[in-house]
Amino acid sequence: MLDVRGLKVTFAGATTPALRGIDLRLDQAKMVVVGANGSGKTTLIRAVLGLVPPTAGSIAVDGKDVRTIRGAAGLSTNLAEIYRLMSLPVRDLVRLFALLKGGEPAEMEGHLRAFELDPVLGKRLYELSTGQQKLVGDLFAVCFGPRLVLLDEPFDNVDFARRRRLVGLLRALPADILLNTHELELLGSFADWQLGLMFEGQLLGPFSVAELDRLYLTRGDVPEALAVLRTSVGPFSVTRDAGDRPVKSATSLTALVESLA
Amino acid sequence: MNLTRWYAKAMLTNGSLWFWAVAFMAMWLGIGAFLESQGVGTTRSAIVAYTTSWYAVIVLIALSLLAAVISGSYAYGSSALAYAFRYSRLTPAGYLASLVGGSALVGLVLNVVLLGATAGMFGLRFSTTLLPADPIALVGVSLLGGVFFMALSSTLALLAINHLGLRSGDFVGYVPLVLAFVLGNGQVYVAFPRWFVYGSPFNDLTSLLYQGFSGNSATVELGTAAVSLGWVPLLLGMLVWTAALVGCTLVLLRRIRSRNLEERRQI
Repeated sequence: MLDVRGLKVTFAGATTPALRGIDLRLDQAKMVVVGANGSGKTTLIRAVLGLVPPTAGSIAVDGKDVRTIRGAAGLSTNLAEIYRLMSLPVRDLVRLFALLKGGEPAEMEGHLRAFELDPVLGKRLYELSTGQQKLVGDLFAVCFGPRLVLLDEPFDNVDFARRRRLVGLLRALPADILLNTHELELLGSFADWQLGLMFEGQLLGPFSVAELDRLYLTRGDVPEALAVLRTSVGPFSVTRDAGDRPVKSATSLTALVESLA
Repeated sequence: MNLTRWYAKAMLTNGSLWFWAVAFMAMWLGIGAFLESQGVGTTRSAIVAYTTSWYAVIVLIALSLLAAVISGSYAYGSSALAYAFRYSRLTPAGYLASLVGGSALVGLVLNVVLLGATAGMFGLRFSTTLLPADPIALVGVSLLGGVFFMALSSTLALLAINHLGLRSGDFVGYVPLVLAFVLGNGQVYVAFPRWFVYGSPFNDLTSLLYQGFSGNSATVELGTAAVSLGWVPLLLGMLVWTAALVGCTLVLLRRIRSRNLEERRQI
C-alpha cells in the first residue's frame, strides 16, 4: 500500500519545484498517471523508491516511511538504473535479483522466453537495445511476487506485439500498480484502472480511465470542478460532461492547456 | 545474504581490470626484467632483492587499479544500492561482506598472476629459479591487500557520492593509484623513516609482499644504517587501516544517495 501526502520535491539549484504537494493513495488499486515529459511523473516514482529526497511531505509504503524503510522486497520498478547493481550478463542478474527478492529465476526466464527475449540472457544491460532494456526492466518489475509495482513509461520503444502481451501481463498481475505514461492512446487498454493527470508537478485525481471520455478541461476555477490545475498561465478546472475541451481530444495535457491558454 | 561469487565474477570479467592491472603491469615487469636490470649485481641476494622490489611495487599498483575499478562501479550502482537496501533482502552489512570476500579473492588472483609473471620474466632474465619464499604469507597478504584497497576506494567513492557529487568521484577514483605509485616507488628510492612505513598501509603492504617473496625483512633508511622492519607491526598497521576503512564504508553505505550518472559530464 502506497500513501503519499503533501509531497514536494525541489532539486538543488532549481527555481521551480518538480513536485508540488502530491497526495496519492494506492491500496488494492491500479493507476495510470498521464502527463507530458517533464511533468514530474518519473520524479514521483524516484521519490517513492527513495532515490530523490522529499523537500516536504511524506511517503509511506505499507505504513513505513521510505526514508527509513529496509527489506521491503514487495516493491518493484522497471527503472533500468535499479538493475545496475553489478556489471553482469542478464542471466546472472536474473539469478541475483531472484535471490535478493526471494523469488525463482525460472519465473523471469519464462517471461523472457514468452517475450522472445531469450537472446538477451547472455548479454549485459548496456549491450541491449533501448527497447530490450525497457522490456527487461518491465519484466524484472513484475517478477518475484511484487505487491506494489512502479512502472515508468513501460511501453517506450516497445513494439506493438510485445505491448499487447505486456498489457495482458500487467492487467493480470495481482499487485498494486502505478504506471506512468505520456501516451493517451494507450489508456483504452486500462479502462478499469484509476487515472491520474500530472501537470507541472501537480497530480489531479484519482479519476477513472473509463470516464476519460467524460472529462473536460475548462479555463478558470469553476465551482463544479472535480479538480483544479494551478499553472503558470492561470487555473484550469477538470469538469465532467461539459467544459471547454475534452481531455481525450489532446495528445497530451500540455497541448490541451496550451490550446486553452 | 552472500553475494561474494557475483561480485568476484563481475570484477574478474572486467576487461579494464585485466588490461590495466594485469597486462599493463606485466609490461612494466618486462621493462624491469629486461631493460632496467643492467646494473644489477650477479649475486643471488642482489637478484632476489631487485626482483622482489619490482614485484612488491607492481602488485601494490595493480591492487590500486582494482580500487579504481571498484570506485567507478559505485557511480553506476548508487541508485541500485539505494533501492536494494530499501526494497530487497540486501543489507549494507551483507553487501559489504560480499565486497570483502570478492575483493579479497580478486586481490589473490591478481597477485598469483603477477607472481607468475615476475617469476617467469625475472627468472628468464637472470637464468635462475625465483620462487616466493613464503607463499602462504603471500596468500594472506594478497587477501588483505584486496580488502584494504576495496575499503579505501569504497570510502572515498561513497564520500564523493554522498557529499560531493560524481564529478568529484572521478577524481577520488585515482587517489589510491596516485598514493600507491608515489609511496610504493618512494619506498624503493627514498629513505622513509620507520615510523612512516609502519603507519602507511601502502608501505606496510609493500614491505609484507617483499618479505613474503624474498624471505628477508624489508629495510628502511637506506644509505645510512639499514634497519629491518618487523612483520608484526607491518601486519598490525594493515589490519588497523583496513578495519577502520571497512567501518567507514559501512557507515557511508547505510546513507548512500542515488546519483544521476549524467553528473559525470563530458569535458
